[in-house]
Amino acid sequence: MKKTILRGAVVGAAASLALAGSPAFAISGTSADLSVLHAIPDTPVDVWVNGELTLDDFAPGDLAGPLDLPAGAYSIVITAPDATDISSPVIGPVDVTLAANTSYTAVAHLTEAGEPSATLFTNDLSTTAPGEGRLTVRHTAAAPAVDILAGGTAVVSGLVNPKEASLDLPVSTVSAAVALAGTTQPVIGPADVPITEGTNTIVYAWGSAEDGNLALAVQTISGLHSSPDGVNTGEAGLAATGGSSPLLALAALVGILAVGATGAALALRRAPSTGR
Amino acid sequence: MAARPVRRGLGLLLVSGSLVALVAWAVTFSGSVSDDEPVRSFRLTPAATASAAPTPRPTAVVDVPVASASLSTLSLPVSTPPARVQIPEIGIDMGVLPVGVKTDGEMEVPDDPSVAGWYRWGSDPRSGAGSTVIAAHVDSLRYGLGPFARLRDLVPGSEITVIGSDGGSHLYRVDGLSAFAKDALPAAELFERSGPSRLVLITCGGTFDETALTYSDNVVVTASPVL
Repeated sequence: MKKTILRGAVVGAAASLALAGSPAFAISGTSADLSVLHAIPDTPVDVWVNGELTLDDFAPGDLAGPLDLPAGAYSIVITAPDATDISSPVIGPVDVTLAANTSYTAVAHLTEAGEPSATLFTNDLSTTAPGEGRLTVRHTAAAPAVDILAGGTAVVSGLVNPKEASLDLPVSTVSAAVALAGTTQPVIGPADVPITEGTNTIVYAWGSAEDGNLALAVQTISGLHSSPDGVNTGEAGLAATGGSSPLLALAALVGILAVGATGAALALRRAPSTGR
Repeated sequence: MAARPVRRGLGLLLVSGSLVALVAWAVTFSGSVSDDEPVRSFRLTPAATASAAPTPRPTAVVDVPVASASLSTLSLPVSTPPARVQIPEIGIDMGVLPVGVKTDGEMEVPDDPSVAGWYRWGSDPRSGAGSTVIAAHVDSLRYGLGPFARLRDLVPGSEITVIGSDGGSHLYRVDGLSAFAKDALPAAELFERSGPSRLVLITCGGTFDETALTYSDNVVVTASPVL
Protein backbone atom coordinates (compact mmCIF):
# COMPACT_ATOMS: atom_id res chain seq x y z
CA MET A 1 0.00 0.00 0.00
CA LYS A 2 1.42 3.30 -1.02
CA LYS A 3 0.15 5.14 1.98
CA THR A 4 1.95 2.81 4.33
CA ILE A 5 5.09 3.06 2.26
CA LEU A 6 4.95 6.78 2.80
CA ARG A 7 4.65 6.28 6.54
CA GLY A 8 7.71 4.10 6.57
CA ALA A 9 9.66 6.34 4.28
CA VAL A 10 9.04 9.19 6.66
CA VAL A 11 10.76 7.31 9.43
CA GLY A 12 13.70 6.54 7.19
CA ALA A 13 14.01 9.99 5.72
CA ALA A 14 13.56 12.03 8.87
CA ALA A 15 17.06 11.20 10.02
CA SER A 16 18.65 12.05 6.69
CA LEU A 17 16.84 15.35 6.33
CA ALA A 18 19.64 17.74 7.08
CA LEU A 19 18.14 21.11 7.83
CA ALA A 20 20.12 23.94 9.25
CA GLY A 21 19.92 27.60 10.06
CA SER A 22 17.50 30.08 11.49
CA PRO A 23 15.68 32.95 9.81
CA ALA A 24 16.33 35.42 12.59
CA PHE A 25 19.05 37.95 11.88
CA ALA A 26 21.79 37.27 14.39
CA ILE A 27 25.17 38.99 14.74
CA SER A 28 26.58 37.22 17.79
CA GLY A 29 25.99 36.98 21.49
CA THR A 30 29.24 38.81 22.16
CA SER A 31 29.67 41.30 19.36
CA ALA A 32 27.96 44.19 17.61
CA ASP A 33 27.98 45.47 14.03
CA LEU A 34 29.04 49.06 13.48
CA SER A 35 28.75 50.86 10.16
CA VAL A 36 29.92 54.42 9.64
CA LEU A 37 28.43 56.93 7.21
CA HIS A 38 30.18 60.16 6.24
CA ALA A 39 27.39 62.66 5.67
CA ILE A 40 29.20 65.98 5.90
CA PRO A 41 29.61 67.50 2.45
CA ASP A 42 32.93 68.37 0.81
CA THR A 43 35.53 67.24 3.38
CA PRO A 44 37.18 63.84 3.69
CA VAL A 45 37.88 62.87 7.31
CA ASP A 46 39.70 60.27 9.37
CA VAL A 47 37.73 58.16 11.85
CA TRP A 48 39.44 56.92 14.99
CA VAL A 49 38.02 54.22 17.23
CA ASN A 50 39.58 54.00 20.70
CA GLY A 51 42.45 56.15 19.51
CA GLU A 52 43.24 53.92 16.53
CA LEU A 53 42.92 55.15 12.99
CA THR A 54 40.10 53.03 11.59
CA LEU A 55 38.97 54.87 8.45
CA ASP A 56 41.59 56.82 6.52
CA ASP A 57 40.53 59.57 4.10
CA PHE A 58 36.88 58.67 4.46
CA ALA A 59 34.98 60.46 1.69
CA PRO A 60 31.61 62.22 1.98
CA GLY A 61 28.75 60.01 0.87
CA ASP A 62 30.66 56.80 1.63
CA LEU A 63 29.50 54.04 3.93
CA ALA A 64 32.00 51.87 5.77
CA GLY A 65 31.49 48.55 7.45
CA PRO A 66 29.98 46.76 9.05
CA LEU A 67 32.78 46.30 11.55
CA ASP A 68 32.26 43.32 13.84
CA LEU A 69 33.25 44.69 17.28
CA PRO A 70 33.16 43.06 20.70
CA ALA A 71 30.27 44.53 22.69
CA GLY A 72 31.43 47.29 25.02
CA ALA A 73 32.38 50.94 25.29
CA TYR A 74 34.09 52.77 22.45
CA SER A 75 35.36 56.26 21.90
CA ILE A 76 34.94 57.58 18.38
CA VAL A 77 36.84 60.65 17.17
CA ILE A 78 36.67 62.29 13.77
CA THR A 79 39.63 64.38 12.65
CA ALA A 80 40.87 66.17 9.57
CA PRO A 81 42.32 63.67 7.06
CA ASP A 82 45.91 64.78 7.70
CA ALA A 83 45.77 64.38 11.51
CA THR A 84 48.48 62.26 13.09
CA ASP A 85 46.49 61.69 16.27
CA ILE A 86 43.18 62.54 17.93
CA SER A 87 44.40 65.67 19.73
CA SER A 88 42.48 68.00 17.39
CA PRO A 89 39.08 66.39 16.83
CA VAL A 90 36.59 67.81 14.36
CA ILE A 91 33.89 65.77 16.10
CA GLY A 92 34.12 63.97 19.43
CA PRO A 93 35.33 62.16 21.28
CA VAL A 94 31.91 60.50 21.16
CA ASP A 95 31.61 57.79 23.77
CA VAL A 96 29.26 54.99 22.80
CA THR A 97 28.32 51.64 24.27
CA LEU A 98 27.64 48.89 21.76
CA ALA A 99 25.38 46.05 22.91
CA ALA A 100 25.84 42.49 21.71
CA ASN A 101 23.77 41.24 18.78
CA THR A 102 22.88 44.80 17.80
CA SER A 103 23.55 46.72 14.61
CA TYR A 104 24.54 50.38 14.72
CA THR A 105 25.32 53.08 12.23
CA ALA A 106 27.42 56.02 13.38
CA VAL A 107 26.77 59.01 11.15
CA ALA A 108 29.02 62.06 10.89
CA HIS A 109 26.63 64.75 9.75
CA LEU A 110 25.53 68.35 10.07
CA THR A 111 23.04 69.51 12.67
CA GLU A 112 19.99 71.47 11.64
CA ALA A 113 22.10 74.60 12.26
CA GLY A 114 24.91 73.29 10.06
CA GLU A 115 27.42 72.28 12.76
CA PRO A 116 29.41 69.03 12.43
CA SER A 117 28.01 66.36 14.71
CA ALA A 118 27.76 62.61 15.08
CA THR A 119 24.78 60.40 15.84
CA LEU A 120 24.72 56.71 16.67
CA PHE A 121 21.60 55.06 15.25
CA THR A 122 20.44 51.58 16.25
CA ASN A 123 19.32 49.62 13.20
CA ASP A 124 16.02 47.76 13.44
CA LEU A 125 16.75 44.08 12.77
CA SER A 126 13.34 42.74 13.75
CA THR A 127 11.93 40.29 11.23
CA THR A 128 9.73 41.48 8.40
CA ALA A 129 6.60 39.73 7.18
CA PRO A 130 6.86 37.61 4.01
CA GLY A 131 6.63 39.83 0.96
CA GLU A 132 7.62 42.96 2.85
CA GLY A 133 10.70 45.06 3.40
CA ARG A 134 11.44 47.92 5.78
CA LEU A 135 12.05 51.54 4.86
CA THR A 136 13.87 53.63 7.46
CA VAL A 137 14.40 57.34 6.91
CA ARG A 138 16.92 59.40 8.89
CA HIS A 139 17.20 63.17 8.92
CA THR A 140 20.89 64.04 9.08
CA ALA A 141 20.84 67.23 7.00
CA ALA A 142 21.27 70.89 7.85
CA ALA A 143 17.60 71.53 7.23
CA PRO A 144 14.44 72.06 9.27
CA ALA A 145 11.71 69.46 9.86
CA VAL A 146 10.79 67.49 6.76
CA ASP A 147 8.08 65.19 5.47
CA ILE A 148 8.96 62.00 3.60
CA LEU A 149 6.80 61.48 0.55
CA ALA A 150 6.19 58.14 -1.14
CA GLY A 151 4.44 58.45 -4.48
CA GLY A 152 3.70 62.09 -3.64
CA THR A 153 1.98 61.31 -0.32
CA ALA A 154 3.52 62.03 3.07
CA VAL A 155 4.32 58.73 4.82
CA VAL A 156 6.42 60.36 7.55
CA SER A 157 5.61 63.86 8.85
CA GLY A 158 7.66 66.39 10.76
CA LEU A 159 10.92 64.44 10.94
CA VAL A 160 13.66 66.55 12.57
CA ASN A 161 17.45 66.22 12.63
CA PRO A 162 18.74 63.75 13.96
CA LYS A 163 15.62 61.57 14.20
CA GLU A 164 14.44 58.55 12.24
CA ALA A 165 11.20 56.86 11.27
CA SER A 166 10.50 53.50 9.71
CA LEU A 167 7.70 51.55 8.12
CA ASP A 168 7.31 48.11 6.60
CA LEU A 169 6.10 48.10 3.01
CA PRO A 170 5.24 45.47 0.39
CA VAL A 171 8.09 44.75 -2.00
CA SER A 172 8.05 47.50 -4.62
CA THR A 173 9.99 50.44 -5.91
CA VAL A 174 8.96 53.53 -3.98
CA SER A 175 9.23 56.96 -5.53
CA ALA A 176 10.55 58.77 -2.47
CA ALA A 177 11.01 62.49 -1.95
CA VAL A 178 11.82 64.83 0.91
CA ALA A 179 9.84 68.04 1.36
CA LEU A 180 9.88 70.68 4.05
CA ALA A 181 7.31 69.74 6.70
CA GLY A 182 3.79 70.54 5.63
CA THR A 183 4.70 70.98 1.96
CA THR A 184 4.76 68.64 -1.02
CA GLN A 185 7.39 70.42 -3.13
CA PRO A 186 10.45 68.10 -2.99
CA VAL A 187 13.76 69.52 -1.76
CA ILE A 188 15.32 66.09 -2.44
CA GLY A 189 14.13 63.68 -5.12
CA PRO A 190 11.87 62.12 -6.06
CA ALA A 191 14.15 59.12 -6.34
CA ASP A 192 13.40 55.44 -6.83
CA VAL A 193 14.02 53.42 -3.67
CA PRO A 194 13.71 49.66 -4.06
CA ILE A 195 12.00 47.98 -1.09
CA THR A 196 13.52 44.50 -1.05
CA GLU A 197 11.96 41.56 0.78
CA GLY A 198 13.46 40.99 4.22
CA THR A 199 15.73 44.02 3.92
CA ASN A 200 15.89 47.21 5.97
CA THR A 201 16.61 49.96 3.44
CA ILE A 202 17.87 52.96 5.38
CA VAL A 203 17.74 56.28 3.56
CA TYR A 204 19.61 59.31 4.90
CA ALA A 205 18.78 62.88 3.97
CA TRP A 206 22.12 64.70 4.26
CA GLY A 207 23.93 67.84 3.19
CA SER A 208 22.85 71.42 3.66
CA ALA A 209 19.75 73.21 2.45
CA GLU A 210 21.61 76.54 2.62
CA ASP A 211 24.51 75.26 0.52
CA GLY A 212 22.16 73.60 -1.96
CA ASN A 213 23.77 70.17 -1.61
CA LEU A 214 20.99 68.15 -0.01
CA ALA A 215 21.21 64.52 -1.10
CA LEU A 216 20.18 60.98 -0.24
CA ALA A 217 22.47 58.23 0.98
CA VAL A 218 21.39 54.65 1.45
CA GLN A 219 22.36 51.62 3.52
CA THR A 220 20.76 48.18 3.38
CA ILE A 221 20.67 45.37 5.93
CA SER A 222 19.30 42.11 4.56
CA GLY A 223 18.37 38.82 6.17
CA LEU A 224 15.38 40.05 8.20
CA HIS A 225 12.91 37.87 6.28
CA SER A 226 10.55 35.36 7.85
CA SER A 227 8.97 32.26 6.35
CA PRO A 228 5.33 31.49 5.61
CA ASP A 229 3.26 30.32 8.58
CA GLY A 230 2.35 27.11 6.80
CA VAL A 231 1.49 25.40 3.56
CA ASN A 232 -2.09 24.23 3.17
CA THR A 233 -2.29 22.08 0.08
CA GLY A 234 -5.43 20.01 -0.03
CA GLU A 235 -9.15 20.18 0.58
CA ALA A 236 -10.84 17.07 -0.81
CA GLY A 237 -9.46 14.16 1.18
CA LEU A 238 -8.74 12.15 -1.97
CA ALA A 239 -5.16 11.49 -0.90
CA ALA A 240 -5.82 10.76 2.75
CA THR A 241 -4.05 7.88 4.42
CA GLY A 242 -6.82 7.67 7.00
CA GLY A 243 -10.08 9.35 7.72
CA SER A 244 -13.24 9.38 9.71
CA SER A 245 -13.97 5.79 8.81
CA PRO A 246 -12.82 3.51 11.65
CA LEU A 247 -12.13 0.75 9.13
CA LEU A 248 -9.82 2.98 7.08
CA ALA A 249 -8.09 4.19 10.22
CA LEU A 250 -7.57 0.60 11.37
CA ALA A 251 -6.20 -0.35 7.95
CA ALA A 252 -3.76 2.53 8.10
CA LEU A 253 -2.68 1.57 11.61
CA VAL A 254 -2.04 -2.02 10.61
CA GLY A 255 -0.08 -0.73 7.65
CA ILE A 256 2.08 1.45 9.87
CA LEU A 257 2.85 -1.46 12.15
CA ALA A 258 3.71 -3.67 9.19
CA VAL A 259 6.09 -1.09 7.76
CA GLY A 260 7.57 -0.44 11.16
CA ALA A 261 8.31 -4.14 11.52
CA THR A 262 9.89 -4.58 8.13
CA GLY A 263 11.93 -1.45 8.52
CA ALA A 264 13.51 1.06 6.22
CA ALA A 265 14.32 -1.40 3.46
CA LEU A 266 10.66 -1.82 2.73
CA ALA A 267 10.02 1.82 3.38
CA LEU A 268 12.50 2.92 0.77
CA ARG A 269 11.48 0.25 -1.72
CA ARG A 270 11.18 1.77 -5.14
CA ALA A 271 7.51 2.26 -5.84
CA PRO A 272 6.28 1.34 -9.31
CA SER A 273 6.02 4.20 -11.71
CA THR A 274 2.47 5.24 -12.11
CA GLY A 275 3.03 6.63 -15.57
CA ARG A 276 0.55 9.05 -16.98
CA MET B 1 54.39 85.72 57.89
CA ALA B 2 52.23 86.48 54.96
CA ALA B 3 54.14 84.13 52.68
CA ARG B 4 53.44 81.04 54.75
CA PRO B 5 49.88 80.31 53.63
CA VAL B 6 50.94 80.93 50.09
CA ARG B 7 53.85 78.55 50.44
CA ARG B 8 51.61 75.99 52.08
CA GLY B 9 49.21 76.32 49.17
CA LEU B 10 52.06 76.01 46.74
CA GLY B 11 53.29 72.99 48.66
CA LEU B 12 49.89 71.35 48.40
CA LEU B 13 49.84 72.13 44.73
CA LEU B 14 53.30 70.63 44.32
CA VAL B 15 52.31 67.55 46.28
CA SER B 16 49.13 67.03 44.31
CA GLY B 17 51.02 67.72 41.14
CA SER B 18 53.62 65.13 41.92
CA LEU B 19 50.90 62.67 42.87
CA VAL B 20 49.43 63.05 39.45
CA ALA B 21 52.88 62.68 37.94
CA LEU B 22 53.55 59.66 40.14
CA VAL B 23 50.29 58.00 39.13
CA ALA B 24 50.98 58.82 35.53
CA TRP B 25 54.49 57.42 35.84
CA ALA B 26 53.25 54.32 37.61
CA VAL B 27 50.70 53.69 34.88
CA THR B 28 53.29 54.25 32.20
CA PHE B 29 55.84 52.16 34.05
CA SER B 30 53.55 49.22 34.64
CA GLY B 31 52.47 49.43 31.05
CA SER B 32 56.00 49.42 29.75
CA VAL B 33 57.31 46.54 31.80
CA SER B 34 54.40 44.17 32.12
CA ASP B 35 53.40 41.98 29.23
CA ASP B 36 50.27 40.95 31.09
CA GLU B 37 48.74 44.40 31.17
CA PRO B 38 46.35 45.23 28.36
CA VAL B 39 47.92 47.73 26.00
CA ARG B 40 44.58 49.29 25.16
CA SER B 41 44.54 51.66 28.16
CA PHE B 42 47.58 53.51 26.82
CA ARG B 43 46.32 54.20 23.36
CA LEU B 44 44.62 57.39 24.42
CA THR B 45 47.93 58.83 25.67
CA PRO B 46 48.87 61.74 23.42
CA ALA B 47 51.84 61.17 21.16
CA ALA B 48 55.22 62.14 22.67
CA THR B 49 55.71 65.88 22.46
CA ALA B 50 59.44 65.87 23.16
CA SER B 51 60.28 64.30 19.84
CA ALA B 52 61.45 66.81 17.26
CA ALA B 53 60.98 64.37 14.39
CA PRO B 54 57.60 64.62 12.60
CA THR B 55 55.22 61.89 13.74
CA PRO B 56 54.58 59.48 10.88
CA ARG B 57 50.99 59.24 9.68
CA PRO B 58 49.45 56.15 11.19
CA THR B 59 47.81 53.62 8.91
CA ALA B 60 44.35 52.20 9.47
CA VAL B 61 44.41 49.29 11.91
CA VAL B 62 41.78 47.21 10.15
CA ASP B 63 40.70 46.85 6.57
CA VAL B 64 37.12 48.12 6.59
CA PRO B 65 35.00 47.73 3.46
CA VAL B 66 34.02 51.17 2.19
CA ALA B 67 31.51 51.78 -0.58
CA SER B 68 29.46 54.61 -1.99
CA ALA B 69 26.11 55.04 -0.24
CA SER B 70 24.63 56.43 -3.43
CA LEU B 71 21.05 55.43 -4.08
CA SER B 72 22.00 54.52 -7.65
CA THR B 73 23.83 51.46 -6.29
CA LEU B 74 20.51 49.88 -5.32
CA SER B 75 18.19 47.75 -7.39
CA LEU B 76 15.59 45.09 -6.72
CA PRO B 77 17.11 41.60 -6.81
CA VAL B 78 16.49 39.63 -9.98
CA SER B 79 15.37 36.02 -9.75
CA THR B 80 14.92 33.28 -12.31
CA PRO B 81 11.54 31.72 -11.48
CA PRO B 82 11.09 28.01 -12.13
CA ALA B 83 8.61 27.47 -14.96
CA ARG B 84 8.19 23.66 -14.90
CA VAL B 85 8.90 20.77 -12.61
CA GLN B 86 9.38 17.34 -14.19
CA ILE B 87 9.56 14.00 -12.39
CA PRO B 88 9.33 11.35 -15.15
CA GLU B 89 9.50 8.48 -12.65
CA ILE B 90 6.05 9.35 -11.31
CA GLY B 91 4.67 10.97 -14.44
CA ILE B 92 4.87 14.58 -13.28
CA ASP B 93 5.40 17.41 -15.77
CA MET B 94 3.65 20.50 -14.53
CA GLY B 95 3.76 24.26 -14.82
CA VAL B 96 5.06 26.41 -11.96
CA LEU B 97 3.93 29.94 -11.10
CA PRO B 98 5.60 32.43 -8.73
CA VAL B 99 3.59 32.81 -5.50
CA GLY B 100 3.92 34.66 -2.21
CA VAL B 101 1.85 34.44 0.95
CA LYS B 102 -1.85 34.82 1.58
CA THR B 103 -3.23 37.38 4.02
CA ASP B 104 -3.32 34.69 6.72
CA GLY B 105 0.45 34.27 6.41
CA GLU B 106 0.31 30.86 4.72
CA MET B 107 2.11 30.19 1.47
CA GLU B 108 0.00 30.89 -1.59
CA VAL B 109 -0.68 27.76 -3.68
CA PRO B 110 -2.38 27.75 -7.10
CA ASP B 111 -6.01 26.52 -6.85
CA ASP B 112 -5.48 23.99 -9.63
CA PRO B 113 -3.52 21.02 -8.24
CA SER B 114 -1.97 20.47 -11.68
CA VAL B 115 -0.13 23.80 -11.31
CA ALA B 116 2.60 24.26 -8.69
CA GLY B 117 3.65 27.45 -6.91
CA TRP B 118 7.25 28.57 -6.44
CA TYR B 119 7.86 30.67 -3.30
CA ARG B 120 9.04 33.84 -4.98
CA TRP B 121 10.63 35.43 -1.87
CA GLY B 122 12.98 32.50 -1.43
CA SER B 123 15.78 31.07 -3.54
CA ASP B 124 15.54 29.89 -7.12
CA PRO B 125 17.77 27.25 -8.80
CA ARG B 126 20.17 29.98 -9.93
CA SER B 127 20.54 31.65 -6.50
CA GLY B 128 23.49 29.48 -5.60
CA ALA B 129 22.25 29.00 -2.04
CA GLY B 130 19.17 28.06 -0.05
CA SER B 131 15.92 26.26 -0.78
CA THR B 132 13.91 26.52 -3.96
CA VAL B 133 10.46 25.77 -2.53
CA ILE B 134 7.71 24.48 -4.84
CA ALA B 135 4.30 23.50 -3.48
CA ALA B 136 1.08 22.21 -5.02
CA HIS B 137 -2.30 21.10 -3.75
CA VAL B 138 -2.59 17.36 -3.40
CA ASP B 139 -6.24 17.62 -4.41
CA SER B 140 -9.10 20.01 -4.89
CA LEU B 141 -12.87 19.80 -4.57
CA ARG B 142 -13.09 21.38 -8.02
CA TYR B 143 -10.21 19.71 -9.87
CA GLY B 144 -9.82 16.37 -8.07
CA LEU B 145 -6.55 14.62 -7.30
CA GLY B 146 -3.37 16.39 -8.39
CA PRO B 147 0.03 15.12 -9.59
CA PHE B 148 1.72 15.92 -6.25
CA ALA B 149 -0.36 13.11 -4.70
CA ARG B 150 2.31 10.88 -6.25
CA LEU B 151 5.23 12.55 -4.45
CA ARG B 152 4.85 9.83 -1.81
CA ASP B 153 6.10 7.32 -4.38
CA LEU B 154 9.48 9.01 -4.66
CA VAL B 155 12.50 7.34 -3.13
CA PRO B 156 15.99 8.65 -2.38
CA GLY B 157 17.84 8.98 -5.66
CA SER B 158 14.75 9.75 -7.74
CA GLU B 159 15.45 12.46 -10.30
CA ILE B 160 13.63 15.79 -10.50
CA THR B 161 14.19 18.42 -13.17
CA VAL B 162 13.29 22.07 -12.71
CA ILE B 163 13.11 24.17 -15.89
CA GLY B 164 13.72 27.85 -15.28
CA SER B 165 11.89 30.70 -16.99
CA ASP B 166 15.14 31.30 -18.86
CA GLY B 167 14.94 27.76 -20.29
CA GLY B 168 17.75 26.51 -18.06
CA SER B 169 17.44 22.92 -16.85
CA HIS B 170 18.35 21.98 -13.27
CA LEU B 171 18.61 18.33 -12.27
CA TYR B 172 18.08 17.25 -8.64
CA ARG B 173 18.21 13.91 -6.88
CA VAL B 174 15.87 13.15 -3.99
CA ASP B 175 17.52 13.05 -0.57
CA GLY B 176 14.48 12.19 1.46
CA LEU B 177 10.74 12.17 1.89
CA SER B 178 9.19 13.39 5.13
CA ALA B 179 5.82 14.09 6.68
CA PHE B 180 5.27 16.71 9.33
CA ALA B 181 2.13 17.46 11.31
CA LYS B 182 1.09 20.82 9.85
CA ASP B 183 1.51 22.69 13.10
CA ALA B 184 5.04 21.27 13.37
CA LEU B 185 6.24 22.09 9.86
CA PRO B 186 9.81 23.40 10.24
CA ALA B 187 9.09 26.29 7.88
CA ALA B 188 12.13 28.35 8.87
CA GLU B 189 14.42 25.47 7.91
CA LEU B 190 12.51 24.40 4.81
CA PHE B 191 12.44 27.98 3.48
CA GLU B 192 16.08 28.65 4.41
CA ARG B 193 17.68 31.11 1.99
CA SER B 194 21.30 30.45 2.86
CA GLY B 195 23.31 27.26 3.02
CA PRO B 196 23.50 24.60 0.32
CA SER B 197 21.29 24.84 -2.76
CA ARG B 198 18.43 22.38 -2.72
CA LEU B 199 14.92 21.77 -3.92
CA VAL B 200 11.99 21.38 -1.51
CA LEU B 201 8.64 20.08 -2.79
CA ILE B 202 5.66 20.40 -0.46
CA THR B 203 2.13 19.04 -0.59
CA CYS B 204 -0.39 17.59 1.84
CA GLY B 205 -0.97 14.13 3.19
CA GLY B 206 -1.83 12.16 6.27
CA THR B 207 -5.35 11.91 7.57
CA PHE B 208 -8.14 14.16 6.38
CA ASP B 209 -10.41 16.22 8.58
CA GLU B 210 -13.74 16.18 6.76
CA THR B 211 -15.10 19.03 8.85
CA ALA B 212 -12.24 21.46 8.37
CA LEU B 213 -11.43 20.02 4.91
CA THR B 214 -7.74 19.89 5.70
CA TYR B 215 -5.08 17.23 5.88
CA SER B 216 -3.15 16.49 9.05
CA ASP B 217 0.32 16.55 7.48
CA ASN B 218 2.61 18.19 5.00
CA VAL B 219 4.51 15.80 2.77
CA VAL B 220 7.96 17.20 2.02
CA VAL B 221 10.49 16.03 -0.56
CA THR B 222 14.02 17.40 -0.33
CA ALA B 223 16.47 17.06 -3.21
CA SER B 224 20.01 18.17 -3.93
CA PRO B 225 21.35 19.49 -7.22
CA VAL B 226 23.20 17.01 -9.41
CA LEU B 227 26.38 18.81 -10.36
